[in-house]
Amino acid sequence: MLPDASSWAAEATAVFAKEWRCELRTRYALSTLALFAFTTLVVVSVSLGPLGVTKSQGSAVLPVLFWIILLFSVAAGLPRSFVQEEESQTATALRLAATPSALFCGKLAYGLTVIFALEALITPIYLAMMSLAVRSPGLLVATLAAGGYGLAAGSTLVAAIIAQARSKGTLFAVMAFPVLLPLLLLSIELTRNAMGGEPAGVALSQLLLYDASVTIAGLMLFPTVWNP
Amino acid sequence: MESLKKILPWLLWLWLALVILGAFLYAPAAVGFKGSSRILFFHVPMAWVSFLAFLTAGVQSLRYLYAGRERRLDRSAAAAVELGLAFGVLATVTGALWAKVMWGAYWNWDPRQTSILVALLFYAAYLALRAAVEDGETRARLASVYAVLGLVVAPFLYFVMPRMAEFTLHPEPVINAAAKVDMDGKMVQVLMASLAGFTALFYWMHNLSCRIQDVADRKTRSQR
Amino acid sequence: MPSPATLRFENVCRRFGRLSVLEGVSGEVAAGGALLVTGPNGSGKSTLLRCLAGLLVPEAGTIEHDEGDGSLDIAERRRRVGFVSPDLAFYGELTVEENLAFFARLRRAELACGLAILDRLGLPADRRAANLSSGMRQRLRWAWALMHRPRLLLLDEPFQNLDAAGERVTRELLREHLATGLAVVANPSPLEIDRVAGRLELGR
Repeated sequence: MLPDASSWAAEATAVFAKEWRCELRTRYALSTLALFAFTTLVVVSVSLGPLGVTKSQGSAVLPVLFWIILLFSVAAGLPRSFVQEEESQTATALRLAATPSALFCGKLAYGLTVIFALEALITPIYLAMMSLAVRSPGLLVATLAAGGYGLAAGSTLVAAIIAQARSKGTLFAVMAFPVLLPLLLLSIELTRNAMGGEPAGVALSQLLLYDASVTIAGLMLFPTVWNP
Repeated sequence: MESLKKILPWLLWLWLALVILGAFLYAPAAVGFKGSSRILFFHVPMAWVSFLAFLTAGVQSLRYLYAGRERRLDRSAAAAVELGLAFGVLATVTGALWAKVMWGAYWNWDPRQTSILVALLFYAAYLALRAAVEDGETRARLASVYAVLGLVVAPFLYFVMPRMAEFTLHPEPVINAAAKVDMDGKMVQVLMASLAGFTALFYWMHNLSCRIQDVADRKTRSQR
Repeated sequence: MPSPATLRFENVCRRFGRLSVLEGVSGEVAAGGALLVTGPNGSGKSTLLRCLAGLLVPEAGTIEHDEGDGSLDIAERRRRVGFVSPDLAFYGELTVEENLAFFARLRRAELACGLAILDRLGLPADRRAANLSSGMRQRLRWAWALMHRPRLLLLDEPFQNLDAAGERVTRELLREHLATGLAVVANPSPLEIDRVAGRLELGR
């Protein structure tokens, strides 16, 4: 009884649609992520702004802060997509009805759209508040896309694991950080290059390679995480 | 055969004792590094063994997941991670001591130092995960998945990432020290001997740990 | 006409930590009948049903489910089974109909079938699942379990929280199901149902 491609896609789409429908009715993830990101953003700019960050200091530090803000916003709001299923006990129904790979992709697509929405919100604000010029906007967009994807994929897999454990909040951060570190380093470097107008170099292809690896690992390992 | 098994641990201790003697008396100090270079005979094998331990954990976890779900395999993986962390911490500490002597600071954010630290964080998270899951079957399954993920992450952190950096304080042939370049023949001998000794030490300790767990498991079973 | 569906389980064992909940439980049932599982609280009825549904893997023993074209593996069993249990929950923010529509898309089942059962059970399609009473929730569980026309029904305390009308309708549904399908019904107290093909008493 192997599912054919179109019904698999229909399943993944159904999961994606369900996530967004529930989200729009509670607005939990969007508000948590946006609020967290915005608050952190204000703290950063209020503490650095008056100091008058020089250009060289800026290019060193500001991309790092940007990605840290993204990382912690994601950690604050994204794991809920799996944690909620376990805690409200809807996971049982889902285990009996869904194909694991379609479920993973649906949740991943949801996480991806949330992260892209968040990036679209805070990037312009960040650039404005820190008075940053971006010499290669194309590279910045590509970095946000590829880096955001990696964040989504890594977080979705780790969220699925910790959802079945206790102390989920701290455990998520502890487990996700080492997995996401290469992604962060590459994204930071690329953001710095985008701001300074330097070429991407080999970093962008390494980032895409990381994205592909995490996706494959997620697709292969998720069924074992999800089902006994 | 039995008497051979009994002798092996003693042989191991003898071997390691010889390695220690060799490190201090037989091998010369490295050119330009003074006497402190002798630490490499211990620092390098410890780092290598931590990687080997994490590799073992990943393999045992794969076997657990796809070859029968025997809990013994999962326990073996956990024992390997514990040893890997222990050796990894020792490697980091010996490295930091050497860094202090050589470059004046314990920590330099050298790419290799940093990436090993991240690897240790990854596996510390493995133990945190185990502690956070109550049900035995779920714990084994989730931890195994994470250890299998480590099979991709660990080689990247130990071997790929340090080479990606443009500048590193670490002397060049480091962990796979089939050193072509700068090492004196005697140093190579002692280093190889130390690598072999530490590898054997790891497997012996791992074997002991698994056997203790098996005994404990048999005891709990008989109490039911 | 496909050969009749069967379910057979032998020597199923399952423990949680030190607690041995199922110790070598066996049974079987074929299409047209229901296996009744009784026993006091904590005797493992729910655990057995979860094992049969594929939600738990037993430590020992075998479970074979055949729907006429060969034995199904655990993943297929999971997808085909109809399962009713007290801890089955649905998405509170979605309405009853939206919940069923979502699962119908996952299971590739006809939503119309699910809506028809909703109608029979007297469930308001546009009420949010969070606003259902416990009896209504139980009816929703039945609708969800039957929506994809399963051959095997696994019912854990099926008539819990139902009023007389609800129990009457669900018993009808069960009777209709047992015409061609099979079921395993677990309940702490003895149940009077038709077409009982066997009884299994789990005890301490």
